[in-house]
Amino acid sequence: MDTPRVRDAKDVEQVVRAAIASEQPLEIIGHGSRRLVGQPMATNAVLELSALNAVTAYEPNELIITVQAGAPLADVLSLIDSKDQQFAFEPMDTSALLGVSGAGTIGGMIGAGLAGPRRIRAGGARDHLLGAHAVSGFGDSFKTGGKVVKNVTGYDLCKLLAGSWGTLAVMTEVTLKVMPKPESERTLVLRGLDDVTANRAMTAALGSPYDVSGAAHLPHQAFRSAAGGLAGLGAPGQATTLLRLEGIAASAADRAGSLGKTLAPFGTVEVLQDAVSAAIWSSIRDVLPFAAQGALGAWPVWRIVCPPASGGALGQQLSRDTGGDVIYDWGGGLIWAALPPRPDAHAALLRARVDAAGGHAMLVRASELVRRNVDVFHPQSGGVAALSERVRASFDPKNILNRGRLLRAVAT
Amino acid sequence: MAIMMPASDQAVLDRRDAIVAALRGIVPGEGVIDSAAEMLPYESDGLMAYRQPPMVVVLPDTTEQVSKVLKYCCEQGIKVVPRGSGTSLSGGALPLADGVLLGLGKFKRIREIDFDNRVVVTEPGVTNLAISQAVAHAGFYYAPDPSSQIACSIGGNVAENSGGVHCLKYGMTTNNVLGCEIVLMSGEILRIGGKSAENAGYDLMGIITGSEGLLGVITEITVRILQKPETARALMVGFAEVEAAGECVARIIGAGIIPGGMEMMDKPAIHAAEAFVHAGYPLDVEALLIIELDGPGVEVDELIGRVETIAKGCGSTTLQISTSEAERNLFWAGRKAAFPAVGRISPDYLCMDGTIPRGALPKALARIRDLSAKYDLRVANVFHAGDGNLHPLILYDANQPGEMERAEAFGADILRCCVELGGVLTGEHGVGIEKRDLMPEMFSEIDLNQQQRLKCAFDAQGLLNPGKVFPTLHRCAELGRVHVHGGRLAFPELPRF
Repeated sequence: MDTPRVRDAKDVEQVVRAAIASEQPLEIIGHGSRRLVGQPMATNAVLELSALNAVTAYEPNELIITVQAGAPLADVLSLIDSKDQQFAFEPMDTSALLGVSGAGTIGGMIGAGLAGPRRIRAGGARDHLLGAHAVSGFGDSFKTGGKVVKNVTGYDLCKLLAGSWGTLAVMTEVTLKVMPKPESERTLVLRGLDDVTANRAMTAALGSPYDVSGAAHLPHQAFRSAAGGLAGLGAPGQATTLLRLEGIAASAADRAGSLGKTLAPFGTVEVLQDAVSAAIWSSIRDVLPFAAQGALGAWPVWRIVCPPASGGALGQQLSRDTGGDVIYDWGGGLIWAALPPRPDAHAALLRARVDAAGGHAMLVRASELVRRNVDVFHPQSGGVAALSERVRASFDPKNILNRGRLLRAVAT
Repeated sequence: MAIMMPASDQAVLDRRDAIVAALRGIVPGEGVIDSAAEMLPYESDGLMAYRQPPMVVVLPDTTEQVSKVLKYCCEQGIKVVPRGSGTSLSGGALPLADGVLLGLGKFKRIREIDFDNRVVVTEPGVTNLAISQAVAHAGFYYAPDPSSQIACSIGGNVAENSGGVHCLKYGMTTNNVLGCEIVLMSGEILRIGGKSAENAGYDLMGIITGSEGLLGVITEITVRILQKPETARALMVGFAEVEAAGECVARIIGAGIIPGGMEMMDKPAIHAAEAFVHAGYPLDVEALLIIELDGPGVEVDELIGRVETIAKGCGSTTLQISTSEAERNLFWAGRKAAFPAVGRISPDYLCMDGTIPRGALPKALARIRDLSAKYDLRVANVFHAGDGNLHPLILYDANQPGEMERAEAFGADILRCCVELGGVLTGEHGVGIEKRDLMPEMFSEIDLNQQQRLKCAFDAQGLLNPGKVFPTLHRCAELGRVHVHGGRLAFPELPRF
């Protein structure tokens, strides 16, 4: 079947208006690289944006890029890389985890809002989306934000669009903040720590003035299907705690020395550099130990966000209770958990523990059957859930866009 | 008053005594103020050209009281204007004649300091600076630093998404808050986010931040704290031409350097500041840059060297590098005192707040010079050069008939120029009433309708801080209607499965 080739925002308006008129909910996709994420949807038509793929403007000295939502993320990354710039929030490439090809589009990157290790220092996708043009569920193209890094004119609807999984509006063009790439990086490595001790080491590092831009812990099990850049860590079978420093070479080296002293009570510190270091962090960003092609490829994968200092205890307990594997990022504030398959993916037990720790959890990878039976996104308390639904309806009252992707109740 | 506020509801004013009595039943003692004399301090905020006594002032000191006050007002159809310290420069806390002014000044307690999770949980009436002071003993601080930080409250910072000189590197309020307790107009108390890096679900914290008190009343905030950089040093660089200074800013950013702060002043601002604080500013330059690098000592030393080379390559005529904290503070003293310094040379001034693409700076300054001649009013420019945020200070004398109106028209033209050059109406001061009627310069009716629909999701009756931000008020029912366009399928080939 053909998919309409929308060429511009006007076309998108037409498609959405037609969908409203015929009460046909639309699934919004770029390259479709994250279609496997979310509750199975109650949509029966596809709006595909990959033809909206132009770079409208890239101004390195203004630290901004304006790009259409369907532009391939990989192309945009290589464009800004040519000017030694980057998206500082390190957008995650979900393809290995989900077992699909391609990193998807810019629109998908914002809609998913999945940030990598540098989130602890640079913020998430929501902190880098400066402006957007989008078509709401009213079938109207609107704009929000601007094309400058500092702006408080009107409500910041960008914050809602980031991480909304396409349920509020169809983004057609976005303006993003870009930042200089660090000239060099160092990774400090500690070996053999248990999860709770590792959490303490990461807390000490993040509470230091040395500007740590990555803090991750890989329990020894994470290496059973060691993939990609993790090979550079050597010494399989040992838990590994990693702390990243970035900046000009003299500074990174100087801070590596100072941070090493701070971490001395936790053991001997090794230091890795530049390419080796970078490969490790992109493996962590993309959660390669749980890759679909790896040993745990059939296991459901949860993404848990919690207060960072409680991550070690939470992850350790989950791992013990379920026999699953965990890896920690964001100094303990992000836990990826691959759990042995079960029809409910351990949802009840996991969510009880996560709630108690003050966090929330999303089931990122699971079969369609499991996703039908489990709340993929963390259930919210009554008042917040009701407000969120009113917010959603203020963009899309007929529930035309990605209907049911966030809420199981709507899907069934 | 040049700006029209929503018409007063006579039926509400007629019930004033009963309303005051009911509010006294919720907030006992001195927490309800209804005498004209005692309400005087609440008539205005930092936008002092506009004054309006409220119907009554209420100063609750618990979340439950806030909830009951809002619930009562919601049921009775009474408008509410929330207020923190009243330092808004855009009139965000300007009272309404038929409205309750809800002051959060009694929410003055820091509830929790959690160094392990690097957050502070605080009540909204705590000042911005007090948060940094409370954690300074452990080497931490709260990064956003609006120049009013001694006085402005963190609740007001969240409402306005306040910035400061360090926000290019460390972000604005929105990048540094994690969660809040918020009371909706209905009286419902909600907790959004917490100590985690991200909220679950839609980013409600993100939309509440910068909503200018129109979505809810915040009664608790969780902010991120950072370790203070090890060192900071500054360069003070003069240029014979504004264009050269602008080029220098572009080349620093282009070289991959993000300074902790990068400020520019034009000649009138330099002269006013120097006369006031004697910071040693060169008086024969057209533009002065203050560039601060912060971080580890070795990094700062190296970057100072790189910036010096860039500045000289751009033809700087004077260049000094701070060698001590005292000297660095002296460089900043003039910039930080720029507003009062301008206040000394003019009876009144208007402070504008547009943002432009950095590269458009010479164009913007030339346009402002032309407008200054056209309106026959002097102007001094200070500029957060790193992030393109321009603060032209328009000098006028309110005692001269017509001069304030001329100053406002001048200011509006500057903001129109910012939008024309690809920028925005406000970088950090907010829309409030000041720029409300300029919103259509930047947003279409469709854009504004979408923003107002969101307002409806929080406050369906439009009772919370009405008359701010939006030039035209619509009923929520009218905004929520979906128009079916023709019903003809423009893309009948849409795949269906």
